[in-house]
Amino acid sequence: MTWNKDETMKKLFLTAAALALWAGAARAEIKVVTASSDLKYICERVGGAEVKVESLSSGDQDLHMVEPRPSMVFKLKKADLLLRVGLDLDMWVDSLINAARNPRLFYGAAGYVDASAGMALLEKPEGKVDASMGDIHIYGNPHYWLDPANAKTMAKNILAGLKRAAPEKCAEFDANYAAFIKETDEKLAGWQQRMAPLKGLKVVTYHSSWPYFAARFGLDVAGHVEPKPGIPPSASHLDGLVKKMKAENVKVILTESYYPRKGPDFLAGKTGAAVVTAAVSAGGTKDVGTYFDVFERVITELEKAAEKK
Amino acid sequence: MRKIIVLALLSGVCGAALAQEAGTPPQGLRGTPANLPDISVIGVIEGHTSSNKADDTRDKLEFSEVETAFQGYIYPEMKADVFLALHKHGTEYESEICEAKVSFLRLADGLSAEVGKVNAEFGKLNKAHTHTRLMIDQPAVLTNFLGTHAFNPQGAALKYLLPLPFYAQAQAGAWNMAGHEHHVEGDNTAEVLDVDQSTVTVVLAPEETEDFSPAGKVYTARLNMSFPLGSGSELELGGSALKGKGSHWEHHEDNIKIAGADFTLKFWPDAYRRFTLQGEYMRLTREVPVGTLKRDGLYLFANYRASKYWNFGARFDYAENAFPAITYERDYALIATRNLTETTTLRAQYKHINLSGEKTDEGWVQLTFGLGPHSHDLE
Repeated sequence: MTWNKDETMKKLFLTAAALALWAGAARAEIKVVTASSDLKYICERVGGAEVKVESLSSGDQDLHMVEPRPSMVFKLKKADLLLRVGLDLDMWVDSLINAARNPRLFYGAAGYVDASAGMALLEKPEGKVDASMGDIHIYGNPHYWLDPANAKTMAKNILAGLKRAAPEKCAEFDANYAAFIKETDEKLAGWQQRMAPLKGLKVVTYHSSWPYFAARFGLDVAGHVEPKPGIPPSASHLDGLVKKMKAENVKVILTESYYPRKGPDFLAGKTGAAVVTAAVSAGGTKDVGTYFDVFERVITELEKAAEKK
Repeated sequence: MRKIIVLALLSGVCGAALAQEAGTPPQGLRGTPANLPDISVIGVIEGHTSSNKADDTRDKLEFSEVETAFQGYIYPEMKADVFLALHKHGTEYESEICEAKVSFLRLADGLSAEVGKVNAEFGKLNKAHTHTRLMIDQPAVLTNFLGTHAFNPQGAALKYLLPLPFYAQAQAGAWNMAGHEHHVEGDNTAEVLDVDQSTVTVVLAPEETEDFSPAGKVYTARLNMSFPLGSGSELELGGSALKGKGSHWEHHEDNIKIAGADFTLKFWPDAYRRFTLQGEYMRLTREVPVGTLKRDGLYLFANYRASKYWNFGARFDYAENAFPAITYERDYALIATRNLTETTTLRAQYKHINLSGEKTDEGWVQLTFGLGPHSHDLE
């Protein structure tokens, strides 16, 4: 048996190169887990190449109803940062945090980010709150991300979390954040311009998901397909809503993509209103890939519905 | 085992104290605003009918259970959950501590513990409180091998998330479970002559038809794993083992072992629809002075959630009893559930029971409601 020095050196060099490539590929990314696909999108924008983000829910899911799974525990176990919607909308996250036993993600720990912190909230219930009001959220309506201006607060909370996780990358995060805010402001200005003719448009929505959107763009929410949040529509409620829509000349029904169409279609059949089915989160429908697409799509559909009116 | 658990708990308290050093970032709002625990009440009203005319609960509509819960954090990474219940046993209401436990959420990396009275994680369904199950009654194998209600002994369990590239949790528990003395005291006495010819009352061994469950010093172990089969499906596999005594061991001198295997397969085709297929198999080995009894039991359960508001289920049970005179029970159940709100459900169930050839048909309607914030661990 002969020893070929050149051949051995070649093998050693190739092995070292492979190891170097592997080490480069496995660089220290910040592992982020989000409760919603919108938070994933914003985190990817602010974190840039430094983050690897996974969302526990897809955009076509109702965030009230996401079912925690053991595989989600596995994701949280490895994560550096957890971003949640908060305001008790994603309460299912709590059991996952406890099951994952990741010290970075417990409430109050550096890796726990509630994107709703500092948000100006709407529909804050006053006085006694109980189930006679439906599935009410005691701190206010949690669908705040449907005002694109609130993306700036969400991004700010995410930025703070990323800085806690990787203080050495603050400059990069700050630059990404500034670019995201700039784009949000530009898009917001464009959407406000497009929605200006629709100001005062009366709409009926399925669930009370749209108060932030309505407040931002001046829509008038005349009623909901659900009699109260989380309560399925009854025949008598729909009948009353038909009368109200006719009396107030409501011509648009705005419904979230995951809710059944039976109620909205019944109302449309009785009143001649147009049904606008909209994704409320990134990935909610095939043509809504990003958080910004949510607004592009719903505004386009509302413009079409208003034209028909 | 006991020493290991005590050491682990002590180290957990130290670890929890260290965890406080991290700065607290500004947080959002959640839970109950005041410094109060989450307080909740779960009520269960049941109507029951049966073709068995000797059934005491036949043709009655009544409150079957009220569960009150107090839940909250008592220290960073330490949580207390107390579930007190008032439920019907036969014709009388009895109060009971369903669960009262302190959870050490992180003792070390991946390690946690529970101490107190706990629904032990043996198999898939025993841990779940009745109101969280997708059925009204419990499968016969659980009743025959673990007891009429959940097997919820006192003691402690350690749980460890294994460092594997998928979800895998191993756990071990050391418990104490009271036997069924009450059956013996009231029901099985006899007057006998003493050596001095006086008459004395003595307690006899209980009939071999009483409830059976593990008791005495009980040790449990479980390994469960989960594998996502895609973005909309997941398979959970579990194996469990238990060693202890029977609930009448003072009289029957029985040592028992139970081995179990379970699986749960779930598909989520869209936002609300979900298909679940779940099964558990258990083998009870009961060593009594005259020999060893080996008994098998299983259930297979399918559930289809058709929409946000409706789900439908079917279950097959096969269970042998734990006693020397063996019986074979085969049950078929159909279940329909309407979710009225997130916390209120209306459920109907039909069950055909074939107990060694003796056939019975049973039906239930059940209204379950919840008041206040109520939560359970990941089940």
